[in-house]
Amino acid sequence: MNRKILTAFLLLTLPAFGGADSQWVLEQCTLSYHVSHPLHSSEGVSHTARGKGVCHQGQCDFLIAVAVKSFDSGDSNRDIHMVQVTRGAQFPMVVVRTRLPETASATATIHADLEIQFAGQTAQYKQVAFELATQGNQTRISGTIPATLSDFKIDPPSLLAIPVKNEMPVRVDMTWHPQ
Amino acid sequence: MLRNLLHDRRISVFSLVVGCLLTTLPSYLIAQANGRGSLTGKVSDASGGVVANATVTATSVGTGETRTVTTGTNGTYKFDLLPAGNYRVKFEAAGFKTAEILSATVNATETAVLDGKLEARDQVSSKPASQDNLPNAPSSSTKAPSLEDLGFTPAQTQGSLQDQARLDKRTHMLKIHQRLGLITLAPLVATFITSANAGGKNTNNTDRTVHMVLGAVSGDLYFMTAYYAIRAPKIPGTETRGPIRLHKAMAWIHGPGMILTPILGALAYNQRNNGEKVHGIASAHGPVAIVTGAAFGIAVASVSLKF
Repeated sequence: MNRKILTAFLLLTLPAFGGADSQWVLEQCTLSYHVSHPLHSSEGVSHTARGKGVCHQGQCDFLIAVAVKSFDSGDSNRDIHMVQVTRGAQFPMVVVRTRLPETASATATIHADLEIQFAGQTAQYKQVAFELATQGNQTRISGTIPATLSDFKIDPPSLLAIPVKNEMPVRVDMTWHPQ
Repeated sequence: MLRNLLHDRRISVFSLVVGCLLTTLPSYLIAQANGRGSLTGKVSDASGGVVANATVTATSVGTGETRTVTTGTNGTYKFDLLPAGNYRVKFEAAGFKTAEILSATVNATETAVLDGKLEARDQVSSKPASQDNLPNAPSSSTKAPSLEDLGFTPAQTQGSLQDQARLDKRTHMLKIHQRLGLITLAPLVATFITSANAGGKNTNNTDRTVHMVLGAVSGDLYFMTAYYAIRAPKIPGTETRGPIRLHKAMAWIHGPGMILTPILGALAYNQRNNGEKVHGIASAHGPVAIVTGAAFGIAVASVSLKF
């Protein structure tokens, strides 16, 4: 009897310890950047990001990508201008890569090392905090990436000869589910 | 004799331990009290080999204070007594591209570890970095997802220098349009101010001429302003949203108005110079000018509060 229980336990748990491949798929995503100026501030939002995570031997490689031109600030003139200053026609995608341990999904907060490709530049952000909330088979991840324009060598747009602030925090709100 | 030797050695060891504690404890306590910590790590290349003599620069995000150290033969570096806070850490070495970690936290309670990966200089910076370049990433033999895995087509992910050049030209022309529009406001306002002397009963030819010249300057600047907006490259597939809609709508008023106003003004000018009272269609010069000026002002304001 004990042997049967042990065998059943081993059969159930071994795949997990053995690092069986699994995948995560980005179900929903809202990304919003915020830029501010002494006279005015604005926010551009995109809901079109796609993402995937591939797990192997306890480590998951995540890739999230979104088109630069998909960000909408409610002002088409400003959006086109943002695409121009961020060289979005030449480098049309924002690509985010990170690697996390598979066990991270069980924690309430993760600190991820991010590599972001944007505007023809690659910037790395260490230990960016994200909050996790799991409901059913969905995991919601939210946090803010402390990006700046200078990280990507972007000349700040100006209004009345005053440039916007260098800080451009990007709010991330994603829902993932395992596949 | 042996006992004495052991006793002496015990004392020596004890003295050494006490000495070490006395030496290290104050600096540790000072570091704790001053909120200082350490930052250490190893600098390696893409293949995992250590990089000696690499320059590591830590810049405090808060104060801008900079400290620099060099890696040893084993590729390691260490900053001691670093004020707690966030740092940008730059790794530089001959033959490698500079790598920068934008945010690393140093606190007084533990030694922060930050490894640097350097990429050979002959690689293109805009190319997607390999997974090995991810900060502190453990090795993994699995295939990481790609943009194709996400369903993006090459047409979506590959940029176009031609499109970027078109955008750059558009922005350049619209910046000139914006500046000229603001400059046009000055003679336009002056034209309105001088209209009081030009159109009254007791006016003379000089007042009318000043008004006419200012109006002509405004008109010239206006049409130059319009040229840069009309000739700016259009971006196909763009739906007009936001304040630019009002800006464009106003152009349908001030555009014809800017053509009509000087024509009516010339008629009125001739009538007044002939000693006649302004009559007929020329009497619409004032109202048309007011509507045109107002529409132009609204157009300028609608986009001047946005970048």
